[in-house]
Amino acid sequence: MISNMNFWERILYILQKYGTSYLKGAGTTLLIALVSTFIGCIIGFLVGIVQTIPVDKKKDSPVKRILLAVVNAVLRVYIEVFRGTPMIVQAVFIYYGMSQVFNVQLSMWQSAFLVVSINTGAYMAESVRGGIISVDPGQMEGAKAIGMTHVQAMMNVILPQAFRNILPQIGNNLIINIKDTSVLSVISIVDLFFVHKSVSGALYTYFESATIVMVIYLTMTLITSKLLRLWENKMDGDENYELVDVMDIGTQLGKKKARV
Amino acid sequence: MSTENVILEISHLEKNFGSHVVLKDINFQVHTGDVVSIIGASGSGKSTMLRCINLLETPTGGSILYHGEDITNPRVDAPAYRAKVGMVFQNFNLFNNMTVLENCMAGQIKVAKKSKAEAKEKALQFLQKVGMSAYINAKPRQLSGGQKQRVAIARALAMEPEVLLFDEPTSALDPQMVGEVLEVMTALAKEGLTMIVVTHEMAFARDISSHVIFMADGLIKEEGSPKQIFGEPKEAETKEFLSRFRNV
Ligand SMILES: Nc1ncnc2c1ncn2[C@@H]1O[C@H](COP(=O)(O)OP(=O)(O)OP(=O)(O)O)[C@@H](O)[C@H]1O
Ligand SMILES: [Mg+2]
Repeated sequence: MISNMNFWERILYILQKYGTSYLKGAGTTLLIALVSTFIGCIIGFLVGIVQTIPVDKKKDSPVKRILLAVVNAVLRVYIEVFRGTPMIVQAVFIYYGMSQVFNVQLSMWQSAFLVVSINTGAYMAESVRGGIISVDPGQMEGAKAIGMTHVQAMMNVILPQAFRNILPQIGNNLIINIKDTSVLSVISIVDLFFVHKSVSGALYTYFESATIVMVIYLTMTLITSKLLRLWENKMDGDENYELVDVMDIGTQLGKKKARV
Repeated sequence: MSTENVILEISHLEKNFGSHVVLKDINFQVHTGDVVSIIGASGSGKSTMLRCINLLETPTGGSILYHGEDITNPRVDAPAYRAKVGMVFQNFNLFNNMTVLENCMAGQIKVAKKSKAEAKEKALQFLQKVGMSAYINAKPRQLSGGQKQRVAIARALAMEPEVLLFDEPTSALDPQMVGEVLEVMTALAKEGLTMIVVTHEMAFARDISSHVIFMADGLIKEEGSPKQIFGEPKEAETKEFLSRFRNV
């Protein structure tokens, strides 16, 4: 009977029958993308921070310098491997590799979060390193000049600015992850793309199902973009500032608006 | 100058970047209340010397005694020392992610471990002093150069340092803004703040400082009271350098 329907009727039919499956799939996709981007950012920040620890040949002990060099080499390998191979292969590699080589049986979900997180981490590490380096070195000197340690300067001055610098890249990664979780269907994660494959396999409605899935993916990425843009604007703060009346300094009242 | 109130004693200070020798043998003392002006041609090593005193550069030789303790020793707690010997930069280096008020509070809270209320009070007090208390909610990018530098001075003062180092604090400013910053610095000098000022403002060096150091080629070529240096310079190099500023 579905063969007698026109395009829109088929879409309607599919939605009536499998609408909740699509939504659940979209939920799964969004969940994996959001959580993994978050964890990936944390990994990226940690790696980026370690990679930008300064070494002072005179002051630092050789032990510290060698340790740091080894850690940095390992991190380089991590970044290159996960940026240089397709995530679909990484997913298979980790899901099956963990059980065969290390005898650790990861669930599909664990593998999914793991793969997307460390993949994002590898990309974010480079962004974070770039973000840290692109902060004017004078900011670090200004912080040191009032007695801050390297860690204090990083936490209070450099990283907040680096974070703002790379917020667009974080957004990019989130959007990429929303799309790229589709490859996780190779390890049978029931994400949006998996639902599409199942539905179109059952009904032979590849075009119609793909249309639905396209619209859902696009909706998710557009909303994400918009929200991220709002966040960026919020971080940049107001273009105006309140000029405070000197007389009222004690009470902090009586503000007037200044335009700049 | 007596010897008991010596804050900083710089002896045989050397600094090279690889094979490039920038400071050769720098010797001088700073006493409580001194306003030391450091003048000299571009590239003579003035900034490098100031940065060595603040440990932003690691000296390659000699010693810097701060109340008798050699701070070039790698075991010295550099951040704690810097909290006592502040620095004001040519390019302000205000924290771009903070407002004017936060700039002046950050060091007090994170380094001096003061309470927020205490830090705010102190910050406002010093911002008022430099005439910037109306701008506490502004971000650095919303200020003019002169305003930024005055905030940077307030930020340094809020740490209540024993010595304040200035590296050409007015060189990045438009001419009409130089005055407002020099005014603040003059007031600080009059109040007895100990200052080391690298400057190309010869009028400031001549009228405000208690001691003038002329540097050339990584060495102190001549030093003395402003009267001596500007009135009757002994070295030919000093005369030659000062002749470029005839109109002060
Ligand atoms: N990080 C560095 N690496 C290598 N050389 C440096 C470094 N910093 C400064 N120098 C060199 O040291 C010399 C002195 O520089 P410095 O900035 O101390 O001079 P200055 O007297 O402050 O000059 P100006 O009046 O132009 O500021 C210059 O030849 C400069 O190239
Ligand atoms: Mg200089």
